Amino acid sequence: MATIKGNFFQHIWAYIFLAILSLAVIFPLLIAVSQSLSTNQAVNRWPPEIIPAEPTLENMQLVLTQQDLRLDIWLRNSLIAATGYTIAVLLVCSPAAYAFARLRFPGNRVLFAFLLVTIMIPSQVTLIPNYLLMRDLKWLDTFAALIVPGAANVFGVFLLRQFFQQIPQELEEAAVLDGAGFFGRFWHVVLPLSTNALTALGIFVFLGHYNDLFWPFIVTNSLETRTLPVGLAILNSSYAGQFRPMVLSGAVLSVVPILIVYVIFQRRIIRGVMLTGMAGR
Amino acid sequence: MSTMNASTPKQRRLIPLKQQEALAAYLFLTPFLIIFGIFVVRAVFAAVEMSFYDWQILRPARPFIGLGNYEELLNDSVWWTALGNTVKFTAMTVVGTTLLSLSAAIAVTQPIKGQSLFRVILYMPTLFSVGAVGLIWVWLLSTQYGVINYGLSLIGLPTINWLGDPNMVLASLSLTTIWWGFGFPMLIFIAGLQGIPEQLYEAARIDGAAGWQIFYKITLPLLRPTILFVTVTGVISHFQVYGQPFIMTNGGPGRSSYTVIFYLYQVAWTAFRMGYGASVAVALAIIMAVLTTIQFVFINRRVEY
Repeated sequence: MATIKGNFFQHIWAYIFLAILSLAVIFPLLIAVSQSLSTNQAVNRWPPEIIPAEPTLENMQLVLTQQDLRLDIWLRNSLIAATGYTIAVLLVCSPAAYAFARLRFPGNRVLFAFLLVTIMIPSQVTLIPNYLLMRDLKWLDTFAALIVPGAANVFGVFLLRQFFQQIPQELEEAAVLDGAGFFGRFWHVVLPLSTNALTALGIFVFLGHYNDLFWPFIVTNSLETRTLPVGLAILNSSYAGQFRPMVLSGAVLSVVPILIVYVIFQRRIIRGVMLTGMAGR
Repeated sequence: MSTMNASTPKQRRLIPLKQQEALAAYLFLTPFLIIFGIFVVRAVFAAVEMSFYDWQILRPARPFIGLGNYEELLNDSVWWTALGNTVKFTAMTVVGTTLLSLSAAIAVTQPIKGQSLFRVILYMPTLFSVGAVGLIWVWLLSTQYGVINYGLSLIGLPTINWLGDPNMVLASLSLTTIWWGFGFPMLIFIAGLQGIPEQLYEAARIDGAAGWQIFYKITLPLLRPTILFVTVTGVISHFQVYGQPFIMTNGGPGRSSYTVIFYLYQVAWTAFRMGYGASVAVALAIIMAVLTTIQFVFINRRVEY
């Protein structure tokens, strides 16, 4: 067995490569933070100031207190929409996954194969018809438009089905002897044993929705429903030229909640991604 | 009631167990199937149908024009520009992402200290929204005041007009996208590498195989399913690129960073031509289905050997 020291020199190229790569990941973020703390004049100086000479929180404040461009309200909207969407996906997909995983019914395999085929269809095909449906239902500019249309998440069904199939059948049989019906078996036996998969899917779905741009961009048009990515896009197109520190403040502040979630759940997130990636393969 | 049924199986049931089970299954599936039926199945058929009409949102008359939209598409130079840009962007991004994420995964799976810290750092950008990533990179790549050009000038290299040069802009968007997204395939590759039995490497080392031989003879062949997954999902997701040009260049300079989805947005929500937009979306779906099939056939054939 090689000692740690021996290993260190043996794998020095790995350290060097990973250190450079990590720097390349972190450096742009540091520059963004630095520029968001600079004044409008300072960012248009050459050479650029890597560390702001006169740091100010003015731009962070600006992006939270304007009339129409309010990062705090966008954040609230994003959290409402992403939380609602995550709950909807879990509620809609887990019973479907249970049916596919455990129940015998005519059409089980055919229906499941059909769902898998539809994964191949890019979601943009559905954009225009769904947009027109939102308009006809008067759902434009409501949270329903951000939550309901994507709730039938095929990937979620696929992932949960894989997981439910691994739960030993005997556990359910024990519940049957105690008098549980199909719903009881699902709710009291299978779901509590699947918290790992449910959390992984939940985090995945939440982050995906929190960062989505195209659909929220076309179905929202007021401050009351606009989500963060939409707000950032508008902030950028309205102010990019002159007010770069303010725009960057928006970008930096929008990343903070994600980083908090990431720091708390990093193990789960990374394990969840690997789990979902393997399932997808 | 159900307790009685369950504890006395001989007792006659109103509905036979098999049918009870099927009934329960359909009830479990109902919410999913309703939403899926309306927002996926119906929408796909509606899109195909709409693509046969001259359907403009502001005009009440919607004449059936058969394949008219598709004929227009074939002669639409903007469409071809957008498609060409998308293909170039996707090729650069998928190749770059796959190489970088595989290298990172191999480095991270060496027996080194700080593995999980490196994983956490390298995966981080994937969690950011395209809005945040786009805004951060627009300024890094700024020709006049950008930090990257400053770095180039420090080491005596000429500065580059990253987002303003029509021949450079797709590469710049691709660079941004690789930075943003290589963490996901990296984790998939790590999982794939961990699945290769250690004995294979030990046997190869005993046989005196060199490092690069081990890589070509063991790692690469056994990773083939993972590479297939990473490239197929990469092509699918990058072909749908939209946010980066939308935020960073607005399709410019000129139309040199128009992509298919960017153009779809222009057609449907700027020009309000829903029928023509639907034909753009359907054409995209067909192209992506063909691309995915080619990738599967190509990589499967090589697995047979």
